Amino acid sequence: MPSTLPRVAFIRGAIACLPLTLACAPWGLLAGSTAIDAQLSPAQSQGLSLFVFAGAAQLVAIGMIKGGAGAISILLTTLLLTSQHLLYAMHLRPMVAPLPARWRFGLGFLLTDEFFALVSPMDRQTFNRWYALGVGLCMYVGWNLFTCLGIVVGQSIPGLDQLGLEFSIAATFIALITPVVRSLPSVVCVAVSLFAVVLFSYWRWESAIVLAGLAGMAAGYVCKRLGVYFS
Amino acid sequence: MIWLIIAAMTLILFFNRYLFLEPRLPIRLNRGVKEFLGFAVPGMLTAICGPIIFIKDHTLDVSLTNPYLLAGLCAIGLMAWSRNVLLSVVSSVALFYLFRAWL
Repeated sequence: MPSTLPRVAFIRGAIACLPLTLACAPWGLLAGSTAIDAQLSPAQSQGLSLFVFAGAAQLVAIGMIKGGAGAISILLTTLLLTSQHLLYAMHLRPMVAPLPARWRFGLGFLLTDEFFALVSPMDRQTFNRWYALGVGLCMYVGWNLFTCLGIVVGQSIPGLDQLGLEFSIAATFIALITPVVRSLPSVVCVAVSLFAVVLFSYWRWESAIVLAGLAGMAAGYVCKRLGVYFS
Repeated sequence: MIWLIIAAMTLILFFNRYLFLEPRLPIRLNRGVKEFLGFAVPGMLTAICGPIIFIKDHTLDVSLTNPYLLAGLCAIGLMAWSRNVLLSVVSSVALFYLFRAWL
């Protein structure tokens, strides 16, 4: 695959990311419309998607701004809520760190849950920077278009946040998780992560997602090690 | 003020995303760390789904009348059976709205 033409790889990446981009449409619409709802100007609402480009963090920050939270608590929440990107980057490090600076900055900026889901199955032999760029840019352009649409039409649909649109994100992630769960350690990982995240969110921990994810990963890892040890 | 928050959020996100992509950062990943990170997809994505499915307005809903839970289970079944991401997502979202209308 490293010998594939850049243009072909780029288009393949963009096409691979298209279903995920469309699945994010509801969130993008929400990110645009809820920002307007929270008294942000259209430029600020679009700015969040253009510069921050992180769905969950944007929606949480908008909710906190609307609720009158202070800047420090919004930023701390952002830091904790998006710290899974540290793990994603560590995972992609063997492929991306050797690239020139402009590629590292570019792919780093485009690193999202969906980007990670599509690019992380590659290893150093199959990794293609153009494919990764196609995935990332497809998501970026789509996310910003849907945000823009949300800003424009969101105001005319009352109660948009009560429509249950966020289920499309859960459905997307379930479709990505299901094929990966093939062994006992991965079942343990998912079970622990699910139990922990429900418990932590019920307790309203701001870092619920990161801590639960880490707990699940640790449980899966320990289970795998034990399996090796006893066999 | 809002623009300051947006600028600071941008920096935080870029820091989280870029830190471990920097080659001059002196860390080497051994086999144990790589195995641990191999669980990142099921672990982290499950953690993002959990609250969407089980928590509604800060209350826990584990009953079978929860349309998120029912449609989520359908999504697992559809994906295991069809191995097709788009088909599973579209069908389970349609089922979600059916369940929500009925329950």
